[in-house]
Amino acid sequence: MAPKPSSAYQIVGKRLPRVDAKERVTGQALYPADLTIPGMVHAKLLRSPHAHARIRSIDVARAQALKGVLAVVTAADFPELPVGATIPMGETGYDMWMIAAVNLARGKVHWVGQPVAGVAAVDVHVAEAALALIEVDYEPLPAVLDIAAAMDPVAPVLHEHVFTKGVEPRPRAPSNVGSRTVIARGNVARALEGAAARQRIRVEVDTAHQGYLEPQAVVAQVDANGFATVWASTQAQFTAELMIARMLGMAQSRLKVVPLEIGGGFGGKIAIHGEAVAVRLAQKCGRPVKLTLTREEVLQGGSGPPAGALIDVAVAADDGGRLVAIEGTYCMDAGGLPGLSPSLLMQASAALYQTPNLHLQGYDVVTNKPRTEAYRGPGGIQAAFAMEQAMDALCQRLDLDPLEFRKRNAAVTGSTMPIGTPFPSIGLTTILQCVGEHPCWTDPLTQGRLPRGRGLALGYWRGTSMTSAGHITITGDGRPMVTMGAIDLSGTRTTMAQVVAEEFGVPISDIHISTGDTKSVGYSDGAAGSRVARTMTAALIEASRDALAQLAGRAAEKLQCRAEDLSYARGVFRSRQIGGPAISLAELMQATLTDGAVVGRGVSTKLPLGVEIGAHVCDVEVDTATGQVTVLRYTAFQDVGLALNPAAVEGQIEGSVVQGLGWALTEGFDYGPDGRLRNASLLDYRMPTALDVPKIECVIVETPVPNVPYGVRGVGEVPIVPPAACVANAIARATGVRLTRMPMTPERVLSALEALARP
Amino acid sequence: MNTLITCTVNGEERTALADTRDTLLELLRDRLGLTGAKEGCGNGNCGTCTVLIDGAAVCSCLMLAQEAPGHDILTIEGLAKADTLHPIQQAIVESGGTQCGFCTPGIVLSAKALLDANALPTDAEIRHAIAGNLCRCTGYGKIVEAIHSAATTLAGR
Repeated sequence: MAPKPSSAYQIVGKRLPRVDAKERVTGQALYPADLTIPGMVHAKLLRSPHAHARIRSIDVARAQALKGVLAVVTAADFPELPVGATIPMGETGYDMWMIAAVNLARGKVHWVGQPVAGVAAVDVHVAEAALALIEVDYEPLPAVLDIAAAMDPVAPVLHEHVFTKGVEPRPRAPSNVGSRTVIARGNVARALEGAAARQRIRVEVDTAHQGYLEPQAVVAQVDANGFATVWASTQAQFTAELMIARMLGMAQSRLKVVPLEIGGGFGGKIAIHGEAVAVRLAQKCGRPVKLTLTREEVLQGGSGPPAGALIDVAVAADDGGRLVAIEGTYCMDAGGLPGLSPSLLMQASAALYQTPNLHLQGYDVVTNKPRTEAYRGPGGIQAAFAMEQAMDALCQRLDLDPLEFRKRNAAVTGSTMPIGTPFPSIGLTTILQCVGEHPCWTDPLTQGRLPRGRGLALGYWRGTSMTSAGHITITGDGRPMVTMGAIDLSGTRTTMAQVVAEEFGVPISDIHISTGDTKSVGYSDGAAGSRVARTMTAALIEASRDALAQLAGRAAEKLQCRAEDLSYARGVFRSRQIGGPAISLAELMQATLTDGAVVGRGVSTKLPLGVEIGAHVCDVEVDTATGQVTVLRYTAFQDVGLALNPAAVEGQIEGSVVQGLGWALTEGFDYGPDGRLRNASLLDYRMPTALDVPKIECVIVETPVPNVPYGVRGVGEVPIVPPAACVANAIARATGVRLTRMPMTPERVLSALEALARP
Repeated sequence: MNTLITCTVNGEERTALADTRDTLLELLRDRLGLTGAKEGCGNGNCGTCTVLIDGAAVCSCLMLAQEAPGHDILTIEGLAKADTLHPIQQAIVESGGTQCGFCTPGIVLSAKALLDANALPTDAEIRHAIAGNLCRCTGYGKIVEAIHSAATTLAGR
């Protein structure tokens, strides 16, 4: 069935307010830190003061003896998981050896802030006092703090078991490089050599943070039968359950994870950060335990930030402005534990260009910093900062308009993706056409006292599909009550209520929708990888049709006709005979409630991908005296397949762009030589405020994905990919300076301007 | 040490036992059960704990519970009248100005303090008034739009 335009639908595609907005504006929305249950006590975590050290011993006796302390745990209270232990998730699984170490160090610490012990006490003050009484005997080791130092063959080695994967022959000595990944075709060296024009750029990207405003929080309770309930702030309740169960050596059937509201995740709340420790403490002390991280803990090693990077890119074109080669080396900072796969970000950076010669190589590098985790299109913005600047510099070299250059080289439906397979239906050509006709591109740059420039950058993100499930119970008054496995990060309940309302032909106010806990809904993968709207739409369409088929059977019986002689529309079954009888869902359920429940079920697995593509244009002004960059105007073009709810789509794009602008200009982790983060507060780690950004204008393009309900694409990840390159390209056009370090703080801009001015 | 504290919250006189180390935010959240104000940083940098003290927007994490007596405190729980949202709340609902919702109570109250003092603020004045409230989801555009719309609604009354 070919997807139809949004105008063909009654409720899908409409700009409707969120179904859960009222509880948000009134303060009723419940996050785990808001939860208090009778008898509840409070936990704190002891964290490593060293970037790299061996733990000789931990003595908890004095802490245990403090009045008001109820339980103390260390790694010794958990089964030791071997290197290689995994739990299922998506295409690759999740490394449980790594997750266990993120939650409690065993034997060694690999970053400042890695948890070493946990305490439960009658209140937070006592718990804090107890932490000071835990005696840890550390043997400090030399720390390795940046990518280049870690890759040095004589660098101290963090993990004796890490032998670089993906190189032949297998290395004979361990190193700090977990893996090498290569994607290649053609002969890049020869193409670069013979090209009419080429450009090379090497960039360094500082580690940043997802910046979710809600610090991680959890409440854990273990009942008299040993059954544990965990109220969590998580993007993935089933993943959390698997992780907690595996860390505790507990059967999954003895555990339930209840996802409460989540105050932002952006990839940083897929893994657990203390949940299993809270459960073990609750088991030990027999009381419910709450653990809430402070902001300093979140920033100083208590959560997984996104990866810093060293990226080197070379691109080349013939004299007709056609690309002949793309070469890239992506060294990604995994933090203290290996396992960061650079494949997706490598593909993303080169995906939107057709080139006969391609050579991309990526390295997973460990350093003594917090184990990195996902952040909205993980690695995309770092890689684009290099690639899209290289492309822009190549345009300057060729004296070619950057939009015209993209049009000549753009990937199209059927052209070859970096991994060698043809692109499914994509709308890049349409996007570039829209850019060329839009005032943000055609308006002349307004002049000011200071230099101004206009930048263009593209972004690509693949996203994923995995599994989504939901069911719909028909209430006694005939209304669909939806329970879905998806966490609502930013509008899922609303868009999914729209989908179900559309299927049932009833107003959205008739739909009750909630996210299920791990014992009340079918297994679903997490809210990550731009997968939820697309796959949950498929699951809930299936569940709606299943419920309607069951209802049709009952209606046929009531109306004394065959089910195939019934029509259904707008909540009413009608016999097709002229003047035939009719029955509404409400009447039908009232009449048949005691016949048993009507429950429609739906599952979506392995749905086609809904790849995301965007093009961004911005105007900036550069204060040459201070290095301050002001973004004057910002426009984001994005192909979303079909916007289930345009207001929600814009919300995703606007927020994502502003996050990108934050990393572009002000957000970066500043580590001291001891591996301690020097800006572990929201004053010193500078996220954009309302004064720092302009209104973001969104232009939505709709190129449906075949064989996906409504043709929906992913939305939330790709808009963070282009902003840093877009701003850098605008700065280069304004001043002639290429910024190669991100964030592009005033200090760095100024020193680049000064270097340019020096003879 | 615990002491008894009596103060006016959302128009009601409330009394609670509080630790002398408790902040006003802890008094509100942990002792009075008013969890609409959030702790995003505990240092006055993010604005999620914003409440109104005698009409002024204040980070409740920076004020001690012991300082509460004698002041009129308004939290997000006291803003809507029964089923009727305040126009700022209504405008945020309609504009899509809330996503994860963690910053929303603080932003609503900062906006109220602004509109009480300046009925028809400019774009720049709105952005300045909420500059102490970080939002990581929306990019601020739809929040600014909502505050303009609420100002128009309130001015028309």
